[in-house]
Amino acid sequence: MTTNASPASLTEKQREKAMKRRLIKRDWRMNKAVYLMAVPVIVYFIIFNYIPMGGILMAFEDYSIKKGIFGSTWVHFDNFIRFFNSVYFWRLIRNTLLISFYGLIFSFPFPIIFALCLNEIRNVKFKKLTQTISYMPYFISIVVVVSIIYDFCSSDGALTKLAAAFGDTGGALIARPEWFRTLYIGSNIWQHLGYNSIIFISALAAIDQELYEAAVIDGASRWKQTIYITLPELSSTIVVLLILRLGQIMNVGYEKTILMYSPATYDTADVIASYVYRVGIIDADYGYSTAINFFNSIVNFIVLFVANTISRKLSETSLW
Amino acid sequence: MKVKKSLALILTCALAATALASCGGSSNNSSSSSKAEESSSASSSEASESSSESSTPEVTAETVDGEENLQTYPLTDSPVTLRYWYPNAGSMAELGDFNDSYFFKWYEEKTGVHIDFVVPAAGSEAESFQLLFASDNMPDMIYGYPAQSAYSYRSGQDKAIDDGYFIDVAEYLDYAPNYSSWLANHDDLRQASYSDTGKLYGMWGIWSGMDSEHTYADYGLSIRKDYLDKVGLDVPTTYSEWETVLTAFKDQLGIKAPLYTSKYGIDTGEMMAGYGTAPYFYQKDGKVQYGPLDDSYKDYLTLLNDWYQKGLLDPDFATRSSSGVTADNDMILNDQVGALMDYGTRLDNTYVSRGASNPDLVYVGAPQPTKDKDDPSYVEPAWRDNTYSSMLHGGCNCISAESDNIELAIRWLDGFYAKDVALNANYGTEEYEGTVWHEDASTSTGRMIDYDYRYANPDGLSSGMVLVQYSAKNPPIRYEGMQVECATEIKQEGYSIWKQYEPTNTLPTRMTMTSEEGTESASIYTDIETYVQECNVKFIMGQMSLDDYDSYRDTIKSMGIDRVIELKQAALDRYNSRTF
Repeated sequence: MTTNASPASLTEKQREKAMKRRLIKRDWRMNKAVYLMAVPVIVYFIIFNYIPMGGILMAFEDYSIKKGIFGSTWVHFDNFIRFFNSVYFWRLIRNTLLISFYGLIFSFPFPIIFALCLNEIRNVKFKKLTQTISYMPYFISIVVVVSIIYDFCSSDGALTKLAAAFGDTGGALIARPEWFRTLYIGSNIWQHLGYNSIIFISALAAIDQELYEAAVIDGASRWKQTIYITLPELSSTIVVLLILRLGQIMNVGYEKTILMYSPATYDTADVIASYVYRVGIIDADYGYSTAINFFNSIVNFIVLFVANTISRKLSETSLW
Repeated sequence: MKVKKSLALILTCALAATALASCGGSSNNSSSSSKAEESSSASSSEASESSSESSTPEVTAETVDGEENLQTYPLTDSPVTLRYWYPNAGSMAELGDFNDSYFFKWYEEKTGVHIDFVVPAAGSEAESFQLLFASDNMPDMIYGYPAQSAYSYRSGQDKAIDDGYFIDVAEYLDYAPNYSSWLANHDDLRQASYSDTGKLYGMWGIWSGMDSEHTYADYGLSIRKDYLDKVGLDVPTTYSEWETVLTAFKDQLGIKAPLYTSKYGIDTGEMMAGYGTAPYFYQKDGKVQYGPLDDSYKDYLTLLNDWYQKGLLDPDFATRSSSGVTADNDMILNDQVGALMDYGTRLDNTYVSRGASNPDLVYVGAPQPTKDKDDPSYVEPAWRDNTYSSMLHGGCNCISAESDNIELAIRWLDGFYAKDVALNANYGTEEYEGTVWHEDASTSTGRMIDYDYRYANPDGLSSGMVLVQYSAKNPPIRYEGMQVECATEIKQEGYSIWKQYEPTNTLPTRMTMTSEEGTESASIYTDIETYVQECNVKFIMGQMSLDDYDSYRDTIKSMGIDRVIELKQAALDRYNSRTF
């Protein structure tokens, strides 16, 4: 199209516009109910996710509850500078990334493998039973899970005794920084294995059975079927979930951490979220803790964005 | 129609009733003030005496130490409900609501004020306290222990008043004649109660029958007497004796935690006072010091490390609860603890009534250990943690500046400072004379707790339950006499052993920082505190070598400890020069 628009092209533009308008109108008329159903969700996101974003301003303030967001003293980047200069900065970043990273490596594949195994079971009753049992730990409160860990890993707990039988002499596992990640991620795998596999199981169920029938006729073994049919069919689900997980790479929930750690294990256990909890909730230093969390979110966003771009380049699958 | 009419009738009646009641209330108020005037003239001689002693800010009083209750009851004729933030969930025992306590029932009847107790869950008091400031729903009265960091407003007490959360009680003392009668009569009480700028953060809890020279110790080292008898040893007094005793506990009796600590390893200073240092800030010749910077602190950690390796400390101490003895009582009850820091009320066989499995359990007070007398580095211990170096007992009631009933809240609290109410709050009301307490002329208050009823209750109630059922937990006025005189012989001995240490090294809990100082010190010290706690544990467990102590000290310095010491020093100097 030229810069000097001719009358003909103008009318073409207008026609295009009119068509669009008609399309939108038709769409509205046909899908009115669907749009109405979406309204509560949109309102929910605006109220609970977008409006609170204004609170980010606190990160740049010496925030005082009494003065409020608009009345508190503006301190520019002081809170961020304080965090970057803190002795804990690198340790928090390192711990957060390592727990997340190891969690990704070790706990991400398990639900997939589990789903594949379940898929191979032909006895329906046994399959359902296994699946149900595997969900159960998910519904146990995190507090209970952590107290089980404490029981197993105190100086006379079963796991500590087991480690001692293999020649370990360090005493209670729960009080040792080098064991913290293992216990944290191990218990996570145990707890979430069944629940996280649901999405893969349903994706498996959606695979066209004819593909398998054809493969059987071609003489493919069970293993070959898995490699050449099941996994490729699952791959888009896996990639999407992986990207979403990467977007959470800097988010290690504080709940389990603050229940599990102690001064003895801060070295490997203290993560950004638990630090924010201590600074924000216990010490009521709201501006500073907001700044830390804001920084955290920015890193998360960058990781998510990069992962998505890479995925889009390498494969067809991406979030947007 | 009929329903509507009768509803209207009821509403009209209700309206009329409230109008009448409010009229009655106002007339009663005026009469009460005239009464107060009367009594003021009656005791004017005392008032002039005490006011001549005090300099700014001036406090006058019409009675001495609440001898005579100057409030007029009921405080209100129309029923009023006040909300009271009362962080005592841990001591509620089987009591469902503090309103079920016989004392609070009696006090409600007397005052006409109903209290809606807001009780935060045990263990989450600190969070709950901080969230009070963030919510728009501040209760009328807030009970706290301002010396503990968990109960402190981040930028200091003055700031909490300046920011408009709490009232400056000093401006409302007219409503608190009983409380004023205490303030007017004691110089050291005024010095400890007012901030540097002459504000009153709240109505402070007071020890009755105590002054600066006569302090009370309710916390110290306690050790299992029955175990000592079993291994044939005496109560240890030096570190080497302690080691012998703890080793005997471990080897001969198989005790899991011969010496018990919380997850921080170093809790309070009693055990380390013999090294001449302290767990955190302390003072030496008027100069503020920070314990972990001392060489002797390192020596003490070396000792603990040695003890840990030998199994004399709890092998799982690093994962115990954060709060000393309270939450992990299981270990004490199940015979796994040989010695610990504990409260005097739990000495003797108190744990048996709390459910200890071994009926022979007896804890006795132990003196603070010292080095051997011929050791060149021998020092006389001069530390006390739960120190009552002033008359304040630590509790403090703040009043919300947003309350609609400030005057009433103050008058309600002020009642506790009068002798009649205070006695009932501590011992139980008159109605229960002969049940929970009886008259005893030999005690300082004239009352004596019925020991058997409390500690061997015929109905099987725990001693904690008897306490909250009949009296109030840590009321504004507490009696040292009650704590000591009403205790068993073993407890009394424990109190007197602990009492011999003058807390000269301890920083006064009531020195205050300005809000700028408070903010700065908090932002630096929070990180340091975490670091020190963490490294203490690592040094004790051997995860960090004590050879690295110098670099550890350098790290603390690089984190800005000198600045915090400087700020503390300034606060201490101001405290010492207070002239109230």
